[in-house]
Amino acid sequence: MSGYIDGLGMVLQWGTLLAIAGGTLLGIIMGSLPGLTSAMAIALLLPVTFGMPPVAGIGMLLGALCGAGASGSIPAILLNIPGTPSSVATTFDGFPMAQKGEAGRALGLAIVASFFGGVASMVILSLLAPPIAEFALRFGPAEYFSLSIFGLVIIASVAGKSLLKGLIAGLIGFFISTIGTDPITGVGRFTFDELSLLTGVNLLPALIGLFAISQVLKDAFEYDPYERMKESAHRIDNARPLFVETLKHWKALLIGIASGSVVGPIPGAGGSIASLVAYDQTRRFSKTPEKFGKGYAPGVVSVESANNALLGGALIPTLALGIPGEAATAVLLGGLMIQGITPGPLLFADQSGTIYGIFLAYLVANFFMLLIMCLGIKLFIRVLMVPRKQLLAAILVFCFIGVYGVDGDVFNLYLMLGFGVLGYFLNRYDFGTAPVILGLILGPIAESNLRRGLQSFEGDWTPFFTRPISVTFLVIAAGLLALTLWQNYRSKHPRAT
Amino acid sequence: MERDIGKPLFNLFLMITSAIAFVVASGIPDFEIVGDLSPAFFPQLLSGLIFLLALPCLVKDVNEWRMAAGARSQSAGVSRKRSIAQWLFIILLLIGYIVSFEPLGYIASTALFTFVCVVGLAFVSGVWASLSAIERGKSLIATLVFALLLTLGIFYVFTELFNIPLPT
Amino acid sequence: MKNLLSTLTLAIGMVAGGQALANDYPNKSIEVIVPFSAGGGNDTFVRALQPLLEEQLGETLVIRNIAGGGGAVGLSRGVASAADGYTMMAASTGMLSLEAMGNVPFTHEDFDFIAKVVEEPYLLAVSSESPYQTVDSLIEAASSGSVRVGVSGIGSSAHITANAIANITSSNFNLIPYPGGSEAISAVMGGHVEAVVLGGAELRSGLEAGRLNALATTYAERSDNLPDVPTFQESGYDLTISVWRGLVGPQGLPDDVKEQWVAAIQQIVEDGSYEETANNLGTELAPLYGDELDVFIDESAAIMLEAAGDLAK
Repeated sequence: MSGYIDGLGMVLQWGTLLAIAGGTLLGIIMGSLPGLTSAMAIALLLPVTFGMPPVAGIGMLLGALCGAGASGSIPAILLNIPGTPSSVATTFDGFPMAQKGEAGRALGLAIVASFFGGVASMVILSLLAPPIAEFALRFGPAEYFSLSIFGLVIIASVAGKSLLKGLIAGLIGFFISTIGTDPITGVGRFTFDELSLLTGVNLLPALIGLFAISQVLKDAFEYDPYERMKESAHRIDNARPLFVETLKHWKALLIGIASGSVVGPIPGAGGSIASLVAYDQTRRFSKTPEKFGKGYAPGVVSVESANNALLGGALIPTLALGIPGEAATAVLLGGLMIQGITPGPLLFADQSGTIYGIFLAYLVANFFMLLIMCLGIKLFIRVLMVPRKQLLAAILVFCFIGVYGVDGDVFNLYLMLGFGVLGYFLNRYDFGTAPVILGLILGPIAESNLRRGLQSFEGDWTPFFTRPISVTFLVIAAGLLALTLWQNYRSKHPRAT
Repeated sequence: MERDIGKPLFNLFLMITSAIAFVVASGIPDFEIVGDLSPAFFPQLLSGLIFLLALPCLVKDVNEWRMAAGARSQSAGVSRKRSIAQWLFIILLLIGYIVSFEPLGYIASTALFTFVCVVGLAFVSGVWASLSAIERGKSLIATLVFALLLTLGIFYVFTELFNIPLPT
Repeated sequence: MKNLLSTLTLAIGMVAGGQALANDYPNKSIEVIVPFSAGGGNDTFVRALQPLLEEQLGETLVIRNIAGGGGAVGLSRGVASAADGYTMMAASTGMLSLEAMGNVPFTHEDFDFIAKVVEEPYLLAVSSESPYQTVDSLIEAASSGSVRVGVSGIGSSAHITANAIANITSSNFNLIPYPGGSEAISAVMGGHVEAVVLGGAELRSGLEAGRLNALATTYAERSDNLPDVPTFQESGYDLTISVWRGLVGPQGLPDDVKEQWVAAIQQIVEDGSYEETANNLGTELAPLYGDELDVFIDESAAIMLEAAGDLAK
């Protein structure tokens, strides 16, 4: 307890609070622009933190992480543009809500859900980090493979009208993920001597192309200059944080927090799929699964709470083991090390209170996030007031700069356009684009871990079915698959009663 | 129901592409590593599966297409033409933007893109023809201002605040 | 030819502009290409150096991440840019391994090396709970059966180094490539592989926390940061490789530009403003400039090429 008091002393200083607020604001701005990520926000702040005391510097970086995690929902809800893989699931119900004129309500729910997710994960982080980190270490090739199979079952939840076509879309994504240098042998696959393809197809241009560009193409196709503006239909009055309503969807909230905290800590896999797992589970546990995907509030609540809960989850292996799960925590780890803070069990046993200062800084960052987002919500929603033609042009410019800004590679712009055209037709002909992203994310995990496992076990397949965690995932995946097929059958052949 | 020949054609496209991918994948060199599947295994498995699953989709969509024969009315044809023109316009414009981005630099290419995009959409959609000369002039100036504000605003935010360099 | 041309241009410039040229540089912001995404070892190295360099050079540095192809895209872009000192690159051992693997259209001859700033060793490390706590016991285990060794990235310099270790010790290593260092570290901590070969910086927190033990370092001599870790040379294996990070420009930089950069880095190294950061990052200052640096790079490139051996295509 005395640790927390020392920690509180470090956080409650004007300089520290200002640093956290600044980091959070930058994170929110960058997270809301398509393409720019929390990793970039943190990298940008890194040189600034050098001169600061550790808790202030790390607090600033955590603020950026927290802000970007929450603000990804803004473009996802308003424009159907997920800026990161973790906000893909936000578009499923958030964008339909916006189309129904409920953008403000969707944002209000998303903000509060993000806040609860972030705070809950901070509590879990501070209490359970070391044991959860140990659990994450038990994930070897077999476990990762089975996890990815479990994840692929989610396709059934995000597929559009046709399960078969959703499956094809997932396979297309999986296939595209095999482009690039083979992860095990190093031979080039479909690289056609293009340097930019050596490390495979980048997720970001694929994401922006499949969602944003395809949406713009659809808008362009349907653009009717004589159509009266629909903006008046947007209700601004409900554009405020909706605490009570969010809490009413407590089941979705809890599932989101649980998914984020459990899946988030798994290095390399957690970040991208935790929110999709949350969406899938919320839909399955719901009494009204048919409402999902059409603008149903619990869909937004579960995804957004998972989105910020997974940040706390991702911090667990970063702080407890020094193993960052993805880019954002990797930069953060760099920030910790520059400050002379060594992650690991010793950090948690350290009596100086630094670790408690870090926990509290993260908590404070969540409050700043809530505050800034609440102040900004009426501003965000004005995006929808921009006339159609101008909005179209602006979206394209933002996507363009976002994709170019990350890697400075023009090739990615062509990729983005290609994915945009592909996504347009996939949507138009009922395949859907979400399964493609799922295939792109989970495909490499499935393939490389299956083959890495076979290499480790020297060709033996049995460990995939005998290792306890692995077999658990496989059994759950098989069960969910059977359930889906049965539900699908029942909905097509309703029994006469 | 709208009759759309694209629906079955897209399935056909998937089947042809996956077949080509399958053949190309067979050319991936193999490296013998104990226990490992060959690098070509997954690409071939996946392209094969796509091919097989697209087949029933093709059959189903062709049937639907034949059932919906003659359902389209004439007026839909006109707006459809305009839709396709708008769609193609955006794609061609994007290609132009990508090509000119580095040679022209961010500011010139983006301002040009934004301007042409807004004015062009008005043109392609047929609104332009119905405007009077004064309205045209007004809208050109308004669009020019919008294009410059957007371009310079983003430039400032990216290069000054985010330190993300853009080509000049 | 390119070299000759730029020398000529420079000579003309000197005649025409006299001393002005030297005094003039830099008169606008300088772009530093990091050929990886934000957050990698290269990126952190440069971003930590950025404020110090800006102070010395008196101009802003703009860090530009051009990722892709394991560094290939950014480096080939940098090579193609004008050698006027306004485009620099953050380089590391990785560029030599790209060259050794034969996937890229450039060699180290296409660059003008300004300075090597920091170095770190490759370490052969095991979990602290592993039964093999010496190089000899691990190698002995590898001779009787296969030992799984995790590395980061196929064709990476860590991968090449691990392959070289296997060859020189005649061990039967089953090299398991992971996408990055952190995945490999969690695999060795969780017992999914017996050992890893990774850079010292990536292993630093695991070593300090006592979760991992380093069995051997690829340095020629024991390093100050890890005085207890024996070298491969001590164990009787002739193997010396290190990970270095530094700054390079495209071939044909004007001499005065090079001198200014070298002076700036020398100053930073001497006044000790970077030392603590470098150590915190798990690296150590190992500055090298000019002809000595060129010799070092040539040697390192030769070692990489040899080590890549059967891995290269």
